Amino acid sequence: MTMPTVKCVVWDIDNTLLSGVYLESAAQPPAADPQMTAVLKELASRGIVHAIASRNPPAAAAYAAQATGCEFVAAECGWGRKSDAVARIAAELNIAPGTLAFVDDDPYERAEVSFALPPVLVLSPEDMADAVGWPEFSPSVITPEARRRGAMYAQRRRRLAAERSFGGSREEFLRSCGTQVSIAAAEAADVPRLHELSERTSQFNSAGAGLTEEAFRSMICATGPSALQPGPGAAARGVLTVRLRDTFGDDGLVGASVTEQGPGTWTVRLLMMSCRAMGRGVIEGLLAWLARLAAREGAEALQIPCALNDRNVPLRLALAAAGFRAAASQPAGGAGTAGGAGTAGRAVFRLDLGGPLPELPGWVSGPGEP
Amino acid sequence: MSAGAGPASAAAAAIADEIRRILAVATGRPEMLDIPADMPLFGQAVALDSLTGTLLLREIRQRFGVDVAADDLNLDALATLGTLAAFVGERAAADTTGAG
Repeated sequence: MTMPTVKCVVWDIDNTLLSGVYLESAAQPPAADPQMTAVLKELASRGIVHAIASRNPPAAAAYAAQATGCEFVAAECGWGRKSDAVARIAAELNIAPGTLAFVDDDPYERAEVSFALPPVLVLSPEDMADAVGWPEFSPSVITPEARRRGAMYAQRRRRLAAERSFGGSREEFLRSCGTQVSIAAAEAADVPRLHELSERTSQFNSAGAGLTEEAFRSMICATGPSALQPGPGAAARGVLTVRLRDTFGDDGLVGASVTEQGPGTWTVRLLMMSCRAMGRGVIEGLLAWLARLAAREGAEALQIPCALNDRNVPLRLALAAAGFRAAASQPAGGAGTAGGAGTAGRAVFRLDLGGPLPELPGWVSGPGEP
Repeated sequence: MSAGAGPASAAAAAIADEIRRILAVATGRPEMLDIPADMPLFGQAVALDSLTGTLLLREIRQRFGVDVAADDLNLDALATLGTLAAFVGERAAADTTGAG
C-alpha cells in the first residue's frame, strides 16, 4: 500500500497563517506569516489545495486569503469543534479524511482533531518547513490537471451554487451549462495523468488499485491510438480517456477505462473517474458509450470486475443505474471475515447487450457516435 | 414473517415519507415529496445517479442505522421507493430486536 498523498491542507489562522491573532487587532490585522506563505505556495504548485478552519468570523478567512495571496477552496469559520470543521471540509470537497492534513499552533486543537479523525495528518506550523519534503506532500507526478486543481475547486463551488438555484432536473442543469464529455483513445501524452488518476481515485475505481505509468504506456503502445477495434480473435486492450468541460471551466482528463475485447464478452479491467466529476454525467456517459460500442462490434455482454469496499459504493450506484448486475460475489479469500459484509471482496458486474442499447446522453461525444 | 400487516405497513409508510424528504433534499426537487411508492428510483422521473444515490444511502445509514450497500450487492433495494422503504424497515427492525 503506497503512502496516501495529501490532497488538501486545512489551516488554522491565528498564529499559524498570520503572525498574530486576527481579532486582537481587527483594525489592523497581523501580516501573513512569511514561512507559512512560502509553504502554501510550494504545496499549491504541487497540486495540493488549501482550506481554512478557524475560530474567527468569516471575514478572517477572506483576510487570510488576501494577506497570503493564496486561494482557499473551503473555509469553515466558527466556534464549534475543529474536527467537525475538518470533517465538513472533507465532505464539501468530496475527499477522504485520510487525504487531509491539519495545521494548527494550538496543541489542544491538534489533539482534538487527532482523536476525532485519526486518518488526518495533524501538524504544527513548526513541522511544516520539514513536512514539505515528506512523501505525503510529494505527489509522484504533477500533471496540468493537478496544477489547476485549486481553480477547479473554485469552479466547482460556483457550479454547485448555480445548481442549487436551478429549478429543473440535474440533466437539464448539465445541458444548461454546456456540459461536454469527450471520449477518445488514450495517447502517450495522457500517461502521467492516467497513472495519477489511478492512484487518486477510490470512490470510482473498479480495480481498487493503481496502475503504473509503465503499465499504461505498454497498453497504449500495444494497441495504438486508433486501435479501438480489436484484431480478429485477439483480445485487444483499449485505453479510453474521458475529458470534461462546461461553461464554468475545463476539468481536463477526469476518467478512463481499460477494456479487453474478447470474443463475445468485453471486459472492463479498469474503470475510474475523479470524484470531482461526480454528478456530471461522466460515468453514465462512459458506460453507455462502452455498451453501445461493444454491442455494435458484436459482443453479447459487457462485464466489469469490481473490488467491493465501503469507499466505492458510488461506482456500484452508477453500475446499478446503468443496468449492470453482479452474478455472484466472491468474498475476500483467506483474509478472515473480520471486515464484515460489503467491506471486502470482488464481484463481476455484467450488462447483457441483447436488449435495447442504452441511450447516449446528448453531452457525450466519442469516436463512432454522432 | 409478515404478521400484522397493519402496523408493519404503517411503519413502512412512515419510512417511505422520510425517504421522500431525503430525496427532495438530495435532488433539490420538492416534487420528490409526492412520488408514489412504485416509482422506480433509477428511472426518468427520479433519475437517481451516483451522486444523489450516495447522499441517499448516507442519510439512510445515519437516520435508520441501515447500511444498504453493505447488505445488498446489486442495490436491488433501490428498485422503487417502496422496495427501499421495505428493505430499510426490515433491517431496522432486525437491529432493534437484537436480530435473533
